[in-house]
Amino acid sequence: MTLLLGAFTIGLILSLLAMGVYVSFRIFDVPDITTDGSITLGAAIAAVLLVNGYNPLVATAAAAVGGAVAGSLTGVLHTRFKINALLSGILVMTALYSVNLHVMGRSNIPLMQARTLTSYSEKAGQWLIGANEFNLFGWRVGAGDAAVLVMALLAAIIVGYALYLFFRTNMGTAMRATGNNAQMIRALGANVERNIILGLALSNGLVALSGALLAQYQGFADAQMGIGMVVWGLASVIIGEALVGGSSLGLTIIGTILGSVLFRLLVAIALRWGLNPNDLKLITALFVFAALVLPRLMRQMKARPRSAA
Amino acid sequence: MLKISGIHKTFNPGTVNEVHALRGVDLTIEEGSFVVVLGMNGSGKSTLLNAVAGSFRVDEGSIKLDDRDVTKWPEHRRAAMIGRVFQNPFSGTAPDMSIAENFAMAASRGKTRGLGWALSKGLMDALRDRVATLKMGLEDRLDNAIGSLSGGQRQALTLLMASWIKPALLLLDEHTAALDPKSADQVIELSKEVIEKDGLTTLMVTHSMQQAVNLGDRIIMMHRGQIAHDFRGAEKKRLRAEDLLDCFEEIRRREQLDESAAAMLEQLYI
Ligand SMILES: Nc1ncnc2c1ncn2[C@@H]1O[C@H](COP(=O)(O)OP(=O)(O)O)[C@@H](O)[C@H]1O
Ligand SMILES: [Mg+2]
Repeated sequence: MTLLLGAFTIGLILSLLAMGVYVSFRIFDVPDITTDGSITLGAAIAAVLLVNGYNPLVATAAAAVGGAVAGSLTGVLHTRFKINALLSGILVMTALYSVNLHVMGRSNIPLMQARTLTSYSEKAGQWLIGANEFNLFGWRVGAGDAAVLVMALLAAIIVGYALYLFFRTNMGTAMRATGNNAQMIRALGANVERNIILGLALSNGLVALSGALLAQYQGFADAQMGIGMVVWGLASVIIGEALVGGSSLGLTIIGTILGSVLFRLLVAIALRWGLNPNDLKLITALFVFAALVLPRLMRQMKARPRSAA
Repeated sequence: MLKISGIHKTFNPGTVNEVHALRGVDLTIEEGSFVVVLGMNGSGKSTLLNAVAGSFRVDEGSIKLDDRDVTKWPEHRRAAMIGRVFQNPFSGTAPDMSIAENFAMAASRGKTRGLGWALSKGLMDALRDRVATLKMGLEDRLDNAIGSLSGGQRQALTLLMASWIKPALLLLDEHTAALDPKSADQVIELSKEVIEKDGLTTLMVTHSMQQAVNLGDRIIMMHRGQIAHDFRGAEKKRLRAEDLLDCFEEIRRREQLDESAAAMLEQLYI
Protein backbone atom coordinates (compact mmCIF):
# COMPACT_ATOMS: atom_id res chain seq x y z
CA MET A 1 0.00 0.00 0.00
CA THR A 2 2.79 2.41 0.88
CA LEU A 3 4.26 1.60 -2.50
CA LEU A 4 1.02 2.46 -4.24
CA LEU A 5 0.65 5.71 -2.30
CA GLY A 6 4.21 6.60 -3.16
CA ALA A 7 3.64 5.95 -6.86
CA PHE A 8 0.53 8.13 -6.81
CA THR A 9 2.34 10.93 -5.01
CA ILE A 10 5.33 10.95 -7.32
CA GLY A 11 3.03 10.70 -10.33
CA LEU A 12 1.16 13.77 -9.13
CA ILE A 13 4.32 15.71 -8.36
CA LEU A 14 5.72 14.87 -11.78
CA SER A 15 2.43 15.87 -13.37
CA LEU A 16 3.62 19.45 -12.87
CA LEU A 17 6.62 18.57 -15.00
CA ALA A 18 4.33 16.88 -17.51
CA MET A 19 2.21 20.04 -17.69
CA GLY A 20 5.36 22.03 -18.30
CA VAL A 21 6.30 19.68 -21.14
CA TYR A 22 2.73 19.93 -22.40
CA VAL A 23 3.16 23.71 -22.65
CA SER A 24 6.44 23.54 -24.57
CA PHE A 25 5.78 20.43 -26.65
CA ARG A 26 2.09 20.62 -27.42
CA ILE A 27 1.29 24.33 -27.23
CA PHE A 28 4.53 25.70 -28.68
CA ASP A 29 5.55 22.60 -30.62
CA VAL A 30 9.06 22.81 -29.18
CA PRO A 31 10.61 19.63 -27.72
CA ASP A 32 12.34 21.58 -24.97
CA ILE A 33 15.16 19.64 -23.38
CA THR A 34 15.87 22.51 -20.97
CA THR A 35 13.46 20.46 -18.87
CA ASP A 36 16.24 18.05 -17.87
CA GLY A 37 18.23 20.92 -16.43
CA SER A 38 15.43 22.97 -14.95
CA ILE A 39 13.92 20.16 -12.86
CA THR A 40 17.31 19.76 -11.21
CA LEU A 41 17.66 23.53 -10.91
CA GLY A 42 14.32 23.65 -9.09
CA ALA A 43 15.40 20.88 -6.74
CA ALA A 44 18.79 22.53 -6.16
CA ILE A 45 17.43 25.99 -5.37
CA ALA A 46 14.76 24.62 -3.06
CA ALA A 47 17.23 22.31 -1.29
CA VAL A 48 19.81 25.00 -0.65
CA LEU A 49 17.23 27.43 0.68
CA LEU A 50 15.62 24.74 2.85
CA VAL A 51 18.90 23.66 4.34
CA ASN A 52 19.54 27.29 5.20
CA GLY A 53 16.26 27.44 7.04
CA TYR A 54 14.08 29.36 4.62
CA ASN A 55 10.34 28.86 4.67
CA PRO A 56 9.46 25.91 2.37
CA LEU A 57 6.91 27.99 0.47
CA VAL A 58 9.54 30.66 -0.21
CA ALA A 59 12.06 28.01 -1.27
CA THR A 60 9.54 26.36 -3.60
CA ALA A 61 8.50 29.65 -5.18
CA ALA A 62 12.15 30.65 -5.67
CA ALA A 63 12.73 27.34 -7.45
CA ALA A 64 9.88 28.03 -9.87
CA VAL A 65 11.29 31.48 -10.61
CA GLY A 66 14.72 29.94 -11.27
CA GLY A 67 13.18 27.51 -13.76
CA ALA A 68 11.35 30.34 -15.48
CA VAL A 69 14.62 32.24 -15.91
CA ALA A 70 16.26 29.14 -17.43
CA GLY A 71 13.33 28.66 -19.80
CA SER A 72 13.37 32.28 -20.93
CA LEU A 73 17.09 31.92 -21.65
CA THR A 74 16.31 29.06 -24.01
CA GLY A 75 13.61 31.24 -25.55
CA VAL A 76 16.05 34.11 -26.05
CA LEU A 77 18.63 31.83 -27.69
CA HIS A 78 15.95 30.49 -30.00
CA THR A 79 14.15 33.70 -30.95
CA ARG A 80 16.77 36.45 -30.67
CA PHE A 81 19.82 34.47 -31.79
CA LYS A 82 17.89 32.29 -34.23
CA ILE A 83 19.34 29.06 -32.86
CA ASN A 84 17.30 25.94 -33.57
CA ALA A 85 14.89 25.31 -30.67
CA LEU A 86 16.25 21.87 -29.85
CA LEU A 87 19.84 23.13 -29.84
CA SER A 88 18.90 26.14 -27.68
CA GLY A 89 17.49 23.72 -25.13
CA ILE A 90 20.57 21.52 -25.27
CA LEU A 91 22.84 24.51 -24.70
CA VAL A 92 20.92 25.76 -21.68
CA MET A 93 20.55 22.25 -20.27
CA THR A 94 24.30 21.71 -20.55
CA ALA A 95 25.06 25.06 -18.95
CA LEU A 96 22.57 24.31 -16.19
CA TYR A 97 24.51 21.22 -15.22
CA SER A 98 27.37 23.42 -14.02
CA VAL A 99 25.02 26.02 -12.59
CA ASN A 100 23.22 23.36 -10.57
CA LEU A 101 26.48 22.05 -9.12
CA HIS A 102 27.40 25.62 -8.16
CA VAL A 103 24.03 26.23 -6.57
CA MET A 104 24.25 23.02 -4.54
CA GLY A 105 27.97 23.24 -3.86
CA ARG A 106 28.16 19.45 -4.16
CA SER A 107 26.37 16.81 -6.13
CA ASN A 108 23.81 15.82 -3.50
CA ILE A 109 21.99 17.64 -0.71
CA PRO A 110 20.04 15.54 1.78
CA LEU A 111 16.93 17.17 3.24
CA MET A 112 16.22 14.73 6.05
CA GLN A 113 16.81 17.31 8.77
CA ALA A 114 15.23 20.25 7.00
CA ARG A 115 11.65 21.39 7.47
CA THR A 116 9.98 20.94 4.09
CA LEU A 117 6.49 21.04 2.63
CA THR A 118 6.54 17.26 2.97
CA SER A 119 7.41 17.29 6.66
CA TYR A 120 4.78 19.95 7.34
CA SER A 121 2.15 17.94 5.47
CA GLU A 122 3.06 14.78 7.34
CA LYS A 123 2.72 16.56 10.67
CA ALA A 124 -0.57 18.11 9.62
CA GLY A 125 -1.86 14.68 8.56
CA GLN A 126 -0.89 13.03 11.80
CA TRP A 127 -2.44 15.85 13.80
CA LEU A 128 -5.68 15.77 11.80
CA ILE A 129 -6.08 11.99 12.01
CA GLY A 130 -4.69 11.83 15.52
CA ALA A 131 -2.61 8.71 14.89
CA ASN A 132 0.40 7.64 12.85
CA GLU A 133 -1.63 5.16 10.87
CA PHE A 134 -5.25 4.63 9.96
CA ASN A 135 -7.38 2.05 8.26
CA LEU A 136 -8.41 2.63 4.64
CA PHE A 137 -10.65 -0.10 3.20
CA GLY A 138 -8.75 -2.68 5.22
CA TRP A 139 -5.24 -1.39 4.51
CA ARG A 140 -2.97 0.18 7.09
CA VAL A 141 -2.10 3.60 5.74
CA GLY A 142 0.43 6.03 7.18
CA ALA A 143 -1.31 9.30 8.07
CA GLY A 144 1.73 11.26 6.96
CA ASP A 145 1.91 9.49 3.60
CA ALA A 146 -1.78 10.10 3.00
CA ALA A 147 -1.43 13.79 3.86
CA VAL A 148 1.48 14.20 1.44
CA LEU A 149 -0.55 12.51 -1.27
CA VAL A 150 -3.41 14.93 -0.64
CA MET A 151 -1.01 17.87 -0.84
CA ALA A 152 0.40 16.60 -4.14
CA LEU A 153 -3.11 16.13 -5.47
CA LEU A 154 -4.00 19.68 -4.45
CA ALA A 155 -0.87 21.03 -6.11
CA ALA A 156 -1.67 19.22 -9.36
CA ILE A 157 -5.28 20.38 -9.35
CA ILE A 158 -4.45 23.99 -8.52
CA VAL A 159 -1.66 24.23 -11.10
CA GLY A 160 -3.72 22.43 -13.75
CA TYR A 161 -6.73 24.67 -13.16
CA ALA A 162 -4.60 27.83 -13.14
CA LEU A 163 -3.02 26.74 -16.42
CA TYR A 164 -6.45 26.11 -17.90
CA LEU A 165 -7.69 29.53 -16.82
CA PHE A 166 -4.55 31.25 -18.06
CA PHE A 167 -4.80 29.75 -21.51
CA ARG A 168 -8.30 31.13 -21.83
CA THR A 169 -7.27 34.72 -21.20
CA ASN A 170 -6.32 37.03 -24.05
CA MET A 171 -2.64 36.58 -23.26
CA GLY A 172 -2.91 32.80 -22.99
CA THR A 173 -5.01 32.49 -26.13
CA ALA A 174 -2.43 34.50 -28.07
CA MET A 175 0.25 32.14 -26.74
CA ARG A 176 -1.68 29.11 -27.99
CA ALA A 177 -2.14 30.80 -31.34
CA THR A 178 1.61 31.46 -31.44
CA GLY A 179 2.27 27.72 -31.34
CA ASN A 180 -0.60 26.93 -33.70
CA ASN A 181 0.02 29.50 -36.45
CA ALA A 182 2.71 32.10 -35.83
CA GLN A 183 2.06 33.89 -39.11
CA MET A 184 -1.59 34.42 -38.22
CA ILE A 185 -1.04 35.77 -34.74
CA ARG A 186 1.81 38.00 -35.88
CA ALA A 187 -0.52 39.51 -38.47
CA LEU A 188 -2.91 40.12 -35.58
CA GLY A 189 -0.32 42.10 -33.71
CA ALA A 190 1.25 39.60 -31.32
CA ASN A 191 4.96 39.64 -30.61
CA VAL A 192 5.64 36.02 -31.48
CA GLU A 193 9.21 36.05 -30.16
CA ARG A 194 8.14 37.42 -26.80
CA ASN A 195 5.33 34.88 -26.56
CA ILE A 196 7.73 32.00 -27.18
CA ILE A 197 10.07 33.31 -24.47
CA LEU A 198 7.17 33.66 -22.03
CA GLY A 199 5.89 30.20 -22.95
CA LEU A 200 9.22 28.51 -22.32
CA ALA A 201 9.54 30.47 -19.07
CA LEU A 202 6.12 29.20 -17.98
CA SER A 203 6.99 25.65 -19.03
CA ASN A 204 10.29 25.51 -17.18
CA GLY A 205 8.82 27.33 -14.19
CA LEU A 206 6.38 24.43 -13.84
CA VAL A 207 9.17 21.91 -14.35
CA ALA A 208 11.33 23.52 -11.65
CA LEU A 209 8.33 23.65 -9.32
CA SER A 210 7.95 19.94 -9.88
CA GLY A 211 11.65 19.47 -9.12
CA ALA A 212 11.36 21.43 -5.88
CA LEU A 213 8.42 19.32 -4.71
CA LEU A 214 10.15 16.10 -5.80
CA ALA A 215 13.28 16.97 -3.82
CA GLN A 216 11.18 17.65 -0.72
CA TYR A 217 9.27 14.41 -1.18
CA GLN A 218 12.22 12.11 -1.77
CA GLY A 219 14.31 13.96 0.81
CA PHE A 220 17.26 15.01 -1.34
CA ALA A 221 18.33 16.96 -4.39
CA ASP A 222 20.76 15.35 -6.78
CA ALA A 223 22.70 16.75 -9.73
CA GLN A 224 21.75 13.71 -11.82
CA MET A 225 18.03 13.70 -11.14
CA GLY A 226 17.06 15.48 -14.37
CA ILE A 227 18.43 13.00 -16.86
CA GLY A 228 15.74 11.87 -19.28
CA MET A 229 12.96 13.79 -17.56
CA VAL A 230 11.79 15.52 -20.73
CA VAL A 231 11.10 12.12 -22.26
CA TRP A 232 9.26 11.18 -19.10
CA GLY A 233 7.12 14.28 -19.55
CA LEU A 234 6.47 13.46 -23.20
CA ALA A 235 5.38 9.95 -22.26
CA SER A 236 2.92 11.37 -19.74
CA VAL A 237 1.50 13.84 -22.24
CA ILE A 238 1.09 11.13 -24.87
CA ILE A 239 -0.53 8.67 -22.47
CA GLY A 240 -2.81 11.46 -21.31
CA GLU A 241 -3.95 12.22 -24.83
CA ALA A 242 -4.73 8.56 -25.39
CA LEU A 243 -6.65 8.45 -22.08
CA VAL A 244 -8.94 11.43 -22.66
CA GLY A 245 -9.11 11.19 -26.43
CA GLY A 246 -10.19 14.81 -26.89
CA SER A 247 -8.11 17.72 -27.96
CA SER A 248 -9.84 20.46 -26.00
CA LEU A 249 -7.68 22.47 -23.66
CA GLY A 250 -9.30 21.32 -20.43
CA LEU A 251 -9.32 17.66 -21.40
CA THR A 252 -5.68 17.61 -22.46
CA ILE A 253 -4.57 19.21 -19.19
CA ILE A 254 -6.57 16.66 -17.18
CA GLY A 255 -5.17 13.96 -19.44
CA THR A 256 -1.62 15.09 -18.79
CA ILE A 257 -2.12 14.77 -15.03
CA LEU A 258 -3.76 11.36 -15.39
CA GLY A 259 -1.06 10.29 -17.85
CA SER A 260 1.70 11.16 -15.42
CA VAL A 261 0.06 9.24 -12.59
CA LEU A 262 -0.72 6.23 -14.75
CA PHE A 263 2.78 6.14 -16.16
CA ARG A 264 4.29 6.25 -12.67
CA LEU A 265 1.99 3.44 -11.55
CA LEU A 266 2.97 1.31 -14.53
CA VAL A 267 6.62 1.91 -13.75
CA ALA A 268 6.11 1.01 -10.07
CA ILE A 269 4.37 -2.21 -11.06
CA ALA A 270 7.05 -3.09 -13.60
CA LEU A 271 9.78 -2.49 -11.01
CA ARG A 272 7.89 -4.65 -8.53
CA TRP A 273 7.78 -7.43 -11.12
CA GLY A 274 11.53 -7.36 -11.33
CA LEU A 275 12.28 -4.80 -14.04
CA ASN A 276 15.89 -3.72 -13.75
CA PRO A 277 15.79 -0.02 -12.72
CA ASN A 278 18.72 0.59 -15.07
CA ASP A 279 16.43 -0.26 -18.00
CA LEU A 280 13.84 2.31 -17.02
CA LYS A 281 15.05 5.14 -19.26
CA LEU A 282 15.52 2.78 -22.19
CA ILE A 283 11.99 1.53 -21.87
CA THR A 284 10.62 5.06 -21.47
CA ALA A 285 12.42 6.12 -24.64
CA LEU A 286 11.14 3.07 -26.52
CA PHE A 287 7.65 3.80 -25.32
CA VAL A 288 7.72 7.41 -26.53
CA PHE A 289 9.22 6.26 -29.81
CA ALA A 290 6.37 3.81 -30.30
CA ALA A 291 3.77 6.40 -29.32
CA LEU A 292 5.18 8.87 -31.82
CA VAL A 293 5.52 6.41 -34.69
CA LEU A 294 2.55 4.06 -34.28
CA PRO A 295 -0.22 6.56 -35.12
CA ARG A 296 1.50 7.39 -38.42
CA LEU A 297 2.03 3.72 -39.24
CA MET A 298 -1.62 3.01 -38.53
CA ARG A 299 -2.71 5.83 -40.82
CA GLN A 300 -0.48 4.49 -43.57
CA MET A 301 -1.91 1.00 -43.12
CA LYS A 302 -5.42 2.39 -43.40
CA ALA A 303 -4.58 4.55 -46.40
CA ARG A 304 -2.96 1.68 -48.30
CA PRO A 305 -5.35 0.46 -50.98
CA ARG A 306 -6.58 -3.07 -50.41
CA SER A 307 -5.63 -5.63 -53.04
CA ALA A 308 -8.51 -6.20 -55.41
CA ALA A 309 -10.92 -8.78 -54.11
CA MET B 1 -3.60 56.95 -46.40
CA LEU B 2 -0.62 54.92 -47.56
CA LYS B 3 2.47 56.62 -48.95
CA ILE B 4 5.25 54.42 -50.34
CA SER B 5 8.35 56.24 -51.55
CA GLY B 6 11.15 54.68 -53.53
CA ILE B 7 11.26 51.29 -51.84
CA HIS B 8 13.76 48.64 -52.90
CA LYS B 9 14.09 45.06 -51.75
CA THR B 10 16.71 42.51 -52.71
CA PHE B 11 16.38 38.96 -51.42
CA ASN B 12 19.52 36.91 -50.74
CA PRO B 13 21.89 39.71 -51.74
CA GLY B 14 25.33 38.64 -52.85
CA THR B 15 24.34 35.03 -53.50
CA VAL B 16 23.41 33.13 -56.65
CA ASN B 17 19.80 33.39 -55.50
CA GLU B 18 19.86 37.18 -55.45
CA VAL B 19 16.50 38.63 -56.52
CA HIS B 20 15.90 42.34 -56.85
CA ALA B 21 12.19 41.99 -56.16
CA LEU B 22 11.24 45.66 -55.66
CA ARG B 23 13.03 48.25 -57.78
CA GLY B 24 11.93 51.65 -56.63
CA VAL B 25 8.20 51.55 -56.02
CA ASP B 26 6.39 54.86 -55.45
CA LEU B 27 2.73 54.64 -54.61
CA THR B 28 0.31 56.87 -52.78
CA ILE B 29 -3.12 55.56 -51.94
CA GLU B 30 -5.73 58.00 -50.68
CA GLU B 31 -7.96 57.28 -47.73
CA GLY B 32 -10.83 55.01 -48.77
CA SER B 33 -9.34 54.09 -52.13
CA PHE B 34 -9.59 50.46 -53.29
CA VAL B 35 -6.58 49.57 -55.42
CA VAL B 36 -6.31 46.35 -57.42
CA VAL B 37 -2.79 45.06 -58.11
CA LEU B 38 -2.13 43.04 -61.26
CA GLY B 39 1.07 41.60 -62.67
CA MET B 40 2.68 38.44 -63.90
CA ASN B 41 4.01 35.75 -61.57
CA GLY B 42 7.12 36.95 -59.85
CA SER B 43 6.56 40.61 -60.68
CA GLY B 44 6.71 41.53 -56.99
CA LYS B 45 3.04 41.89 -56.00
CA SER B 46 3.28 39.81 -52.84
CA THR B 47 6.63 41.35 -52.01
CA LEU B 48 5.04 44.79 -52.19
CA LEU B 49 2.26 43.78 -49.80
CA ASN B 50 4.73 42.06 -47.48
CA ALA B 51 6.88 45.18 -47.45
CA VAL B 52 3.89 47.26 -46.41
CA ALA B 53 2.85 44.72 -43.77
CA GLY B 54 6.39 44.61 -42.42
CA SER B 55 7.25 40.95 -43.05
CA PHE B 56 10.75 42.29 -43.76
CA ARG B 57 12.52 45.63 -43.74
CA VAL B 58 12.95 47.35 -47.10
CA ASP B 59 16.51 48.15 -48.19
CA GLU B 60 15.70 51.69 -49.29
CA GLY B 61 12.78 54.06 -49.26
CA SER B 62 10.03 54.75 -46.77
CA ILE B 63 6.51 53.63 -45.96
CA LYS B 64 4.03 55.96 -44.29
CA LEU B 65 0.65 54.88 -43.04
CA ASP B 66 -1.80 57.53 -41.83
CA ASP B 67 1.07 60.01 -41.57
CA ARG B 68 3.12 57.72 -39.41
CA ASP B 69 6.47 56.55 -40.69
CA VAL B 70 6.25 52.79 -40.19
CA THR B 71 9.35 51.91 -42.25
CA LYS B 72 11.20 50.60 -39.20
CA TRP B 73 8.25 49.17 -37.32
CA PRO B 74 8.20 45.39 -36.83
CA GLU B 75 5.32 43.51 -38.40
CA HIS B 76 3.38 42.94 -35.18
CA ARG B 77 3.41 46.66 -34.44
CA ARG B 78 2.12 47.61 -37.88
CA ALA B 79 -0.59 45.00 -37.43
CA ALA B 80 -2.42 47.47 -35.21
CA MET B 81 -3.21 49.41 -38.38
CA ILE B 82 -3.30 46.64 -40.99
CA GLY B 83 -5.77 43.85 -41.69
CA ARG B 84 -4.57 40.98 -43.85
CA VAL B 85 -5.92 38.03 -45.79
CA PHE B 86 -3.38 35.67 -47.33
CA GLN B 87 -3.58 33.54 -50.44
CA ASN B 88 -3.39 30.32 -48.47
CA PRO B 89 -6.53 29.74 -46.36
CA PHE B 90 -4.27 28.00 -43.82
CA SER B 91 -2.20 31.11 -43.22
CA GLY B 92 -4.82 33.41 -41.74
CA THR B 93 -6.34 31.22 -39.05
CA ALA B 94 -5.13 29.05 -36.18
CA PRO B 95 -6.54 25.65 -37.25
CA ASP B 96 -6.70 23.88 -33.89
CA MET B 97 -8.41 26.76 -32.14
CA SER B 98 -12.13 27.46 -32.27
CA ILE B 99 -13.78 29.98 -34.57
CA ALA B 100 -14.57 32.09 -31.51
CA GLU B 101 -10.99 32.02 -30.24
CA ASN B 102 -9.68 33.04 -33.65
CA PHE B 103 -12.03 36.01 -33.59
CA ALA B 104 -11.03 36.85 -30.03
CA MET B 105 -7.49 37.30 -31.30
CA ALA B 106 -8.77 39.43 -34.18
CA ALA B 107 -10.78 41.54 -31.76
CA SER B 108 -7.59 42.31 -29.82
CA ARG B 109 -5.48 43.08 -32.89
CA GLY B 110 -2.90 45.68 -31.98
CA LYS B 111 -4.02 45.87 -28.35
CA THR B 112 -2.15 44.72 -25.27
CA ARG B 113 -3.35 41.21 -24.51
CA GLY B 114 -3.77 40.92 -20.76
CA LEU B 115 -5.45 38.56 -18.35
CA GLY B 116 -9.04 39.35 -19.33
CA TRP B 117 -11.11 36.45 -20.69
CA ALA B 118 -10.59 36.00 -24.40
CA LEU B 119 -14.20 34.94 -24.98
CA SER B 120 -16.36 37.62 -23.37
CA LYS B 121 -20.12 37.45 -23.65
CA GLY B 122 -20.19 40.68 -25.62
CA LEU B 123 -17.78 39.31 -28.19
CA MET B 124 -19.69 36.05 -28.55
CA ASP B 125 -22.98 37.86 -29.16
CA ALA B 126 -21.49 40.25 -31.70
CA LEU B 127 -19.69 37.36 -33.34
CA ARG B 128 -22.80 35.23 -33.66
CA ASP B 129 -24.66 38.09 -35.33
CA ARG B 130 -21.85 38.93 -37.71
CA VAL B 131 -21.10 35.33 -38.69
CA ALA B 132 -24.81 34.70 -39.27
CA THR B 133 -24.76 37.32 -42.06
CA LEU B 134 -22.43 34.99 -43.99
CA LYS B 135 -25.33 32.52 -44.27
CA MET B 136 -22.93 29.61 -44.00
CA GLY B 137 -24.50 28.18 -40.86
CA LEU B 138 -21.29 28.84 -38.93
CA GLU B 139 -22.97 30.84 -36.16
CA ASP B 140 -23.89 27.57 -34.44
CA ARG B 141 -20.38 26.18 -34.77
CA LEU B 142 -18.37 28.92 -33.08
CA ASP B 143 -16.79 26.38 -30.73
CA ASN B 144 -15.60 24.14 -33.57
CA ALA B 145 -11.97 24.12 -34.59
CA ILE B 146 -11.59 26.50 -37.51
CA GLY B 147 -9.37 23.91 -39.23
CA SER B 148 -12.43 21.73 -39.80
CA LEU B 149 -13.93 24.27 -42.22
CA SER B 150 -13.53 24.50 -45.98
CA GLY B 151 -11.05 26.88 -47.57
CA GLY B 152 -13.82 29.22 -48.68
CA GLN B 153 -15.32 29.36 -45.21
CA ARG B 154 -11.92 30.01 -43.70
CA GLN B 155 -11.18 32.85 -46.13
CA ALA B 156 -14.58 34.40 -45.45
CA LEU B 157 -13.92 34.27 -41.72
CA THR B 158 -10.36 35.58 -42.14
CA LEU B 159 -11.82 38.54 -44.01
CA LEU B 160 -14.22 39.26 -41.16
CA MET B 161 -11.33 38.89 -38.72
CA ALA B 162 -9.13 41.29 -40.66
CA SER B 163 -11.85 43.94 -40.58
CA TRP B 164 -13.28 43.25 -37.12
CA ILE B 165 -11.37 46.27 -35.86
CA LYS B 166 -11.40 48.80 -38.68
CA PRO B 167 -7.92 48.71 -40.22
CA ALA B 168 -6.25 51.80 -41.68
CA LEU B 169 -5.28 49.51 -44.54
CA LEU B 170 -6.60 46.17 -45.77
CA LEU B 171 -4.18 43.89 -47.64
CA LEU B 172 -5.63 41.07 -49.75
CA ASP B 173 -3.09 38.88 -51.55
CA GLU B 174 -4.83 36.65 -54.12
CA HIS B 175 -7.14 35.66 -51.31
CA THR B 176 -9.46 33.76 -53.66
CA ALA B 177 -6.81 32.05 -55.80
CA ALA B 178 -6.84 28.82 -53.81
CA LEU B 179 -10.64 28.49 -53.85
CA ASP B 180 -13.07 26.79 -56.19
CA PRO B 181 -14.91 29.25 -58.49
CA LYS B 182 -18.10 29.31 -56.44
CA SER B 183 -16.38 29.97 -53.12
CA ALA B 184 -14.13 32.50 -54.83
CA ASP B 185 -17.20 34.43 -55.99
CA GLN B 186 -18.69 34.33 -52.51
CA VAL B 187 -15.49 35.63 -50.94
CA ILE B 188 -15.18 38.37 -53.56
CA GLU B 189 -18.77 39.47 -52.88
CA LEU B 190 -18.02 39.54 -49.18
CA SER B 191 -14.80 41.50 -49.75
CA LYS B 192 -16.75 44.08 -51.71
CA GLU B 193 -19.35 44.36 -48.98
CA VAL B 194 -16.80 44.65 -46.16
CA ILE B 195 -14.70 47.22 -48.01
CA GLU B 196 -17.66 49.36 -49.05
CA LYS B 197 -19.38 49.26 -45.68
CA ASP B 198 -16.47 50.91 -43.86
CA GLY B 199 -14.84 52.57 -46.86
CA LEU B 200 -11.64 50.64 -46.17
CA THR B 201 -8.41 51.70 -47.83
CA THR B 202 -7.52 48.50 -49.67
CA LEU B 203 -4.71 46.96 -51.65
CA MET B 204 -5.86 43.76 -53.37
CA VAL B 205 -3.72 41.48 -55.52
CA THR B 206 -5.54 39.32 -58.04
CA HIS B 207 -4.75 37.46 -61.24
CA SER B 208 -8.33 37.81 -62.49
CA MET B 209 -8.78 40.59 -65.08
CA GLN B 210 -12.51 40.34 -64.51
CA GLN B 211 -12.15 41.05 -60.78
CA ALA B 212 -9.81 43.89 -61.62
CA VAL B 213 -12.27 45.68 -63.89
CA ASN B 214 -15.29 44.98 -61.68
CA LEU B 215 -13.75 46.03 -58.39
CA GLY B 216 -12.02 49.03 -56.96
CA ASP B 217 -11.32 52.51 -58.22
CA ARG B 218 -7.75 52.07 -59.37
CA ILE B 219 -5.56 49.40 -60.99
CA ILE B 220 -1.79 49.22 -60.81
CA MET B 221 0.14 46.76 -62.89
CA MET B 222 3.47 45.53 -61.57
CA HIS B 223 6.32 44.41 -63.77
CA ARG B 224 9.78 43.38 -62.61
CA GLY B 225 9.50 45.05 -59.26
CA GLN B 226 8.12 48.31 -60.56
CA ILE B 227 4.74 49.82 -61.29
CA ALA B 228 4.38 49.60 -65.06
CA HIS B 229 0.83 51.00 -65.38
CA ASP B 230 -1.48 52.97 -63.16
CA PHE B 231 -5.13 53.35 -64.20
CA ARG B 232 -7.39 55.54 -62.12
CA GLY B 233 -10.51 57.66 -62.20
CA ALA B 234 -12.46 57.71 -65.42
CA GLU B 235 -9.80 55.72 -67.22
CA LYS B 236 -10.17 52.86 -64.73
CA LYS B 237 -13.96 52.98 -65.09
CA ARG B 238 -13.70 52.65 -68.88
CA LEU B 239 -11.18 49.84 -68.72
CA ARG B 240 -12.32 46.42 -69.98
CA ALA B 241 -10.72 43.04 -69.37
CA GLU B 242 -9.50 42.98 -72.98
CA ASP B 243 -7.59 46.24 -72.48
CA LEU B 244 -5.78 44.70 -69.55
CA LEU B 245 -4.98 41.60 -71.57
CA ASP B 246 -3.51 43.85 -74.28
CA CYS B 247 -1.40 45.50 -71.63
CA PHE B 248 -0.08 42.13 -70.52
CA GLU B 249 0.54 41.14 -74.12
CA GLU B 250 2.56 44.26 -74.70
CA ILE B 251 4.65 43.66 -71.60
CA ARG B 252 5.28 40.11 -72.73
CA ARG B 253 6.28 41.25 -76.22
CA ARG B 254 8.72 43.75 -74.79
CA GLU B 255 10.05 41.03 -72.56
CA GLN B 256 10.66 38.69 -75.47
CA LEU B 257 12.23 41.51 -77.41
CA ASP B 258 14.56 42.12 -74.50
CA GLU B 259 15.40 38.47 -74.33
CA SER B 260 16.08 38.00 -78.02
CA ALA B 261 18.16 41.16 -78.00
CA ALA B 262 20.13 39.84 -75.06
CA ALA B 263 20.63 36.50 -76.83
CA MET B 264 21.87 38.31 -79.92
CA LEU B 265 24.31 40.42 -77.94
CA GLU B 266 25.51 37.34 -76.15
CA GLN B 267 26.21 35.54 -79.44
CA LEU B 268 27.99 38.54 -80.86
CA TYR B 269 30.21 39.37 -77.95
CA ILE B 270 30.71 36.29 -75.78
N1 LIG C 1 11.15 35.57 -49.04
C1 LIG C 1 11.73 35.53 -50.26
N2 LIG C 1 12.99 35.07 -50.40
C2 LIG C 1 13.58 35.03 -51.60
N3 LIG C 1 13.00 35.41 -52.74
C3 LIG C 1 11.73 35.88 -52.68
C4 LIG C 1 11.03 35.96 -51.44
N4 LIG C 1 9.80 36.46 -51.67
C5 LIG C 1 9.73 36.68 -53.00
N5 LIG C 1 10.89 36.35 -53.61
C6 LIG C 1 11.19 36.49 -55.03
O1 LIG C 1 10.84 37.80 -55.42
C7 LIG C 1 10.24 37.80 -56.69
C8 LIG C 1 8.85 38.41 -56.58
O2 LIG C 1 8.04 37.51 -55.88
P1 LIG C 1 6.53 37.81 -55.48
O3 LIG C 1 6.44 39.15 -54.90
O4 LIG C 1 6.06 36.68 -54.64
O5 LIG C 1 5.79 37.77 -56.90
P2 LIG C 1 4.23 37.80 -57.22
O6 LIG C 1 4.05 39.00 -58.05
O7 LIG C 1 3.97 36.55 -58.00
O8 LIG C 1 3.48 37.83 -55.95
C9 LIG C 1 10.21 36.37 -57.16
O9 LIG C 1 11.31 36.17 -58.01
C10 LIG C 1 10.36 35.58 -55.91
O10 LIG C 1 11.02 34.37 -56.15
MG1 LIG D 1 2.12 36.47 -55.05
